[in-house]
Amino acid sequence: MGQIVLGVGDYGASNTPSDDVKTFALGSCVSVIFLDPKTRTVGMAHVALPDSSINAAKAKEKPGYFADTAIPALLTQMTKFGCDKRGKGMVVKLCGGANVMDTNDTFQIGKRNALAIKKILWSYGMGAVSEDLGKNYSRTVSISVSAGQITLSSPGKPNWQL
Amino acid sequence: MAKQISQEELHKIVKSVPMLSASASQLLQLTAKADHDLIDVINLVRNDANLTARVLKIVNSAAFGLINNITSIDRAISYLGERIIVSIAVGDCAGKLFEKELSGYESAGGDLWKHDLRTAIASREVVTQSGADISPELAFTAGLLHDIGKALISDYLQGTVAEAVELITTEEGLDYLDAEEKLVGFDHTRAGYELAKEWNLPDELCEVILHHHEPSKAKEEYRALIYAVHLGDNIAMMGGFGTGADSMRYKLDQQYTDYIKIGPKTLATIMLNVDIEFEKLEGSFNGSGEKN
Repeated sequence: MGQIVLGVGDYGASNTPSDDVKTFALGSCVSVIFLDPKTRTVGMAHVALPDSSINAAKAKEKPGYFADTAIPALLTQMTKFGCDKRGKGMVVKLCGGANVMDTNDTFQIGKRNALAIKKILWSYGMGAVSEDLGKNYSRTVSISVSAGQITLSSPGKPNWQL
Repeated sequence: MAKQISQEELHKIVKSVPMLSASASQLLQLTAKADHDLIDVINLVRNDANLTARVLKIVNSAAFGLINNITSIDRAISYLGERIIVSIAVGDCAGKLFEKELSGYESAGGDLWKHDLRTAIASREVVTQSGADISPELAFTAGLLHDIGKALISDYLQGTVAEAVELITTEEGLDYLDAEEKLVGFDHTRAGYELAKEWNLPDELCEVILHHHEPSKAKEEYRALIYAVHLGDNIAMMGGFGTGADSMRYKLDQQYTDYIKIGPKTLATIMLNVDIEFEKLEGSFNGSGEKN
């Protein structure tokens, strides 16, 4: 069984049924998950920040880092497995985006990440069917390609499904 | 139910931790002073053969990508900057403490060092990007040391993670610090403060360790520095580098805005810079970037 581990700003996809796609300790980062039932492909991006305009060079080197560059990059990657280039027919799920408590909004990067991702998804006519966003704890995500099952974990909590 | 740590026991735990090396201790004293010179740092390092060798090895590691090897310690220190020298010195003599597996937080060995290094980089970035009138190098050092208390109380917290999380989730207004205190009698800031005193760390570093979750409780003169580390700590956790169960389960001290001016865009830049800088530093420290 293979394990594809995605770090901050990475994205990747697999259609090998024995693979797991995994990312560790999402804090304010958001994991964007695309499941394509037609080709049985799973794709994920580990998005750190909402907007690539702060550093174009970084966006080029690591498009998965920013919401606005991650989604096109992930979709392009998934076309290699025969998926639709505009994500038609795909099931979208989102998780992560935790926040620290800050009443003046500055530190709500998790929230801004999630919003930026949703905005880009809308531009493709896509939307999340389920999400586990916000709150104040970190999440580790593991997806089994064969079942398309998404398992979330966080220390001190029983694992849960998305 | 976890065992409560008595004051006497805490004292014993603190005494059982090896002292810092003479050069690490002097470096921390020296670099905390606002008016110190780099030449004093160079002289200090020069007198410690092991530290000199380590500094030269690190500056010549692939992570820094130098074409020609640096062989003089003066040049190595000028190139790396004193914050990296401090990290090397502290990491070398207190490495065991920083590399310890924090089983009481369900956190793997090495996580604490990574969290501390991220916090150090982030605290420094907070200072430079916000233009606050604080020494960026001191903010770095303070960030590096802020969580040493976790290594002291972790063993006592073993098996308490679910209970701690339950406490925070069910009782309004509690954070992980409160949970630690309820479960073992001391939170990690108190334990770390005792060790900082034992190590004779400069006053400002002791205060950072004690108040890094509630800077508003610190002495006014150190408050700006402590807010920088407070934000740096939160930024490290937001970036996915916490120490297990407690990650992000703390309150943000709202009065930071009186001391540190940052908006959403600056914060995004800081987070990005932390990722870039961390990758470089970590590669040079763990030797994976060594040249053949």
